[in-house]
Amino acid sequence: MSDRGADKGRGAAVQTTGHAWDGDLQEFNNPLPRWWLWAFYGTVVFAVVYWFLYPAWPVGRDYTKGVLNRVTFQAGGETVTTHWNTRARLMLELQDSPAARRQRQYLEKVAAAGYDEILADPDMKGFAWSMAKGVYGDNCAPCHGSDGKGRIGLFPNLADDAWLWGGTVEDIETSIREGRQGFMPAFGEALSERQLDDVAAFVLSLSGHEVDPEAAARGARIFRGETGGCHYCHTREGTGLKSQGAADLTDRIWTVADVPGRPTLAGKKEEVKRVVRDGIRRTMPAWKDRLDPVQIKLLTVYVHELGGGR
Amino acid sequence: MVQTTVASAAQPYNYEIVRRFTIAALVWGVLGMLAGLYAALELSFPWLNLEIPELTFGRLRPVHTTLVIFGFGGSALFATSYYVVQRTCQARLASDTLASFTFWGWNAAVGLGALSYMLGITQSREYAEFEWPIDILITVVWVAYLYLYVATLRRRSQPHIYVANWFYVGFILATAILHVFNNLAIPVSLTKSYSLFSGVQDAMTQWWYGHNAVGFFLTAAFLGMMYYFVPKQAGRPVYSYRLSIIHFWALIFLYMWAGGHHLHWTALPDWTSTLAATFSVMLLLPSWGGMINGIMTLSGAWEKLRTDPVMLFLITGLSFYGMSTFEGPMMSLKSVNALSHYTDWTIGHVHSGALGWVAMITFGSFYHLVPRLWDTRLHSTRLVYVHFWLATIGIVLYITAMWVAGIGQGLMLRGFDEYGNLAYSFIETVRFLHWPYVVRAIGGAFFLAGVLVMVYNFAMTVAAARREAAALEAKLAAKLAARG
Repeated sequence: MSDRGADKGRGAAVQTTGHAWDGDLQEFNNPLPRWWLWAFYGTVVFAVVYWFLYPAWPVGRDYTKGVLNRVTFQAGGETVTTHWNTRARLMLELQDSPAARRQRQYLEKVAAAGYDEILADPDMKGFAWSMAKGVYGDNCAPCHGSDGKGRIGLFPNLADDAWLWGGTVEDIETSIREGRQGFMPAFGEALSERQLDDVAAFVLSLSGHEVDPEAAARGARIFRGETGGCHYCHTREGTGLKSQGAADLTDRIWTVADVPGRPTLAGKKEEVKRVVRDGIRRTMPAWKDRLDPVQIKLLTVYVHELGGGR
Repeated sequence: MVQTTVASAAQPYNYEIVRRFTIAALVWGVLGMLAGLYAALELSFPWLNLEIPELTFGRLRPVHTTLVIFGFGGSALFATSYYVVQRTCQARLASDTLASFTFWGWNAAVGLGALSYMLGITQSREYAEFEWPIDILITVVWVAYLYLYVATLRRRSQPHIYVANWFYVGFILATAILHVFNNLAIPVSLTKSYSLFSGVQDAMTQWWYGHNAVGFFLTAAFLGMMYYFVPKQAGRPVYSYRLSIIHFWALIFLYMWAGGHHLHWTALPDWTSTLAATFSVMLLLPSWGGMINGIMTLSGAWEKLRTDPVMLFLITGLSFYGMSTFEGPMMSLKSVNALSHYTDWTIGHVHSGALGWVAMITFGSFYHLVPRLWDTRLHSTRLVYVHFWLATIGIVLYITAMWVAGIGQGLMLRGFDEYGNLAYSFIETVRFLHWPYVVRAIGGAFFLAGVLVMVYNFAMTVAAARREAAALEAKLAAKLAARG
């Protein structure tokens, strides 16, 4: 390592300090390795240069600002020039980095465009997809999943082409902007156990399940009559009402009752019964105060494209 | 054989306290690393939280850091410093009672701390999570430690104080100052207090403490350990007395300024940031002074690395020390820090120091110490090699996994696509971490396995020592009976 300092083996010319501790503990009196000393001086020079260029030493209630190192950026329509500091550097990067400039151009373009134009233009659609992916990932993915598939019983699937609240860009935008209250009353007290069985049988028959026809017929009367009143939201045919966020029960797509997850018919019926008995209460928060209009617009395009938007 | 036993029975040193702290270090080490391994697995497989609040990552993490830093590291420092100060001063500890008090007080603080974190009681100050009653206990223990150490130094039988003791005293003094100022708080109940500082001053105080806990607790103190055990094990004089003086004072002076580099690009004023970065850069060579002095002590006796696995631990420890003290100043530069901060690169850096330096130098010292404390030979040298390779493979897996995780996530967080948008959402960067986290946990498991091998080796060594002593006594008794 060091040319002059190295001790060339036992009994070399280098002397120890003459002290001994604990029997045999001694110290050679080798000089400081030259490379070590010069490298140390090097770091000191680096530090001193750094102090001249950047804010460094406190002086009274102020501090040295650094020289040859100004930052110019825009603030409130004015051009500000200041000494180097991390906040100014951040402002500058947000305003003037190549990525920021490119993003700003695209943002101005999509802000002025309607949904039809964005969806028809591959470049704008690409931008919307790229930017909304991040907005979605940071805000929506915790519930709906990064793939948009949601979780049965908790959060609707956004990646299929069934839409509880409508799948047009206008519907989707409203859902995001204003939020949604998914509500179905609990029928556990209004209906008897037998009636619940019958309703469940009818609901399953709507999506083509082989159930006891008599039970299904009794269930249909409850569903379509005043006893259950289910048809007010789900319609007499069970196809659902977008205005109520009421599910289409005929499309074999299940968002609350995990029917596909149960292998037996009895199990499927139990699932449906559970939902009818307990009701549904789910909330999609409103995002209008948390996301800006352009972000909501891009997110709408993203969700529209994620599933089969209408 | 009879004579050595008689000689060690008449031993002028208090070895009992060294033995006790050594055992405490091993117990806390195993528990602390187990907590660390479990916490690492929780990050890879979150269901391992098992919905039990006491086991969640947020509570287990301070349990891990406290048990390994203060339980394992602290007890190892107590053990070796009490051993070194007695041997290099040729004087018994000034008070056996006070020594015993530091043992029970320190271990009570560590145990109570870990327990309180699992119950959710914490000051939320990193590496200083102890609530105020435990802080007070630690302060009392620490003052007793300082008094005992200095009083013992004053009883030394020769005019010069050996270099290892400078480092130990520096560590004890600095830790006292750091602990007291960082923990100034107003208690509102037995288990809750509010810091005297707020806002950015609070953050700065916390990191002034946090970084110097690394600097004095995990660096200076373990250099003290190195300065005794490396030349002892090598049987060679320390390379350079002059270098030891210069790098000691440079290290002590420069470290105190560097804490602000943990708060780059935050509300911390830029000038504070700059000072912290530049002092961190100037710390590089003073830190390396210790490494040079340790490694060059072996110059002329390199063949020991082939024949002595204990030396292998000590020198590998010094090499990791050199590596992480190079990495540290580099990461303290604002531009590098913009990439590394808030990523696992920091975790990797800490562990290359903690596993590579602190733990390796401690293992080496313990392999030197334990046979001497129990006056016998080590049970198995082969197992020392097994431990060495388990530990080294573990560290390499750990550090490389964290480099991949940290640099990878850092680059993902700042990546832009062709539209000028951020290329990745936060959740994607988290998904990316899964495999590096799994590899990190495997590395940690290797390391812990190595420690278990060491504990087994020591247990067999102590058991053999007890058998030898019993056989010897029986022989003596038989002789006396025959004579009678």
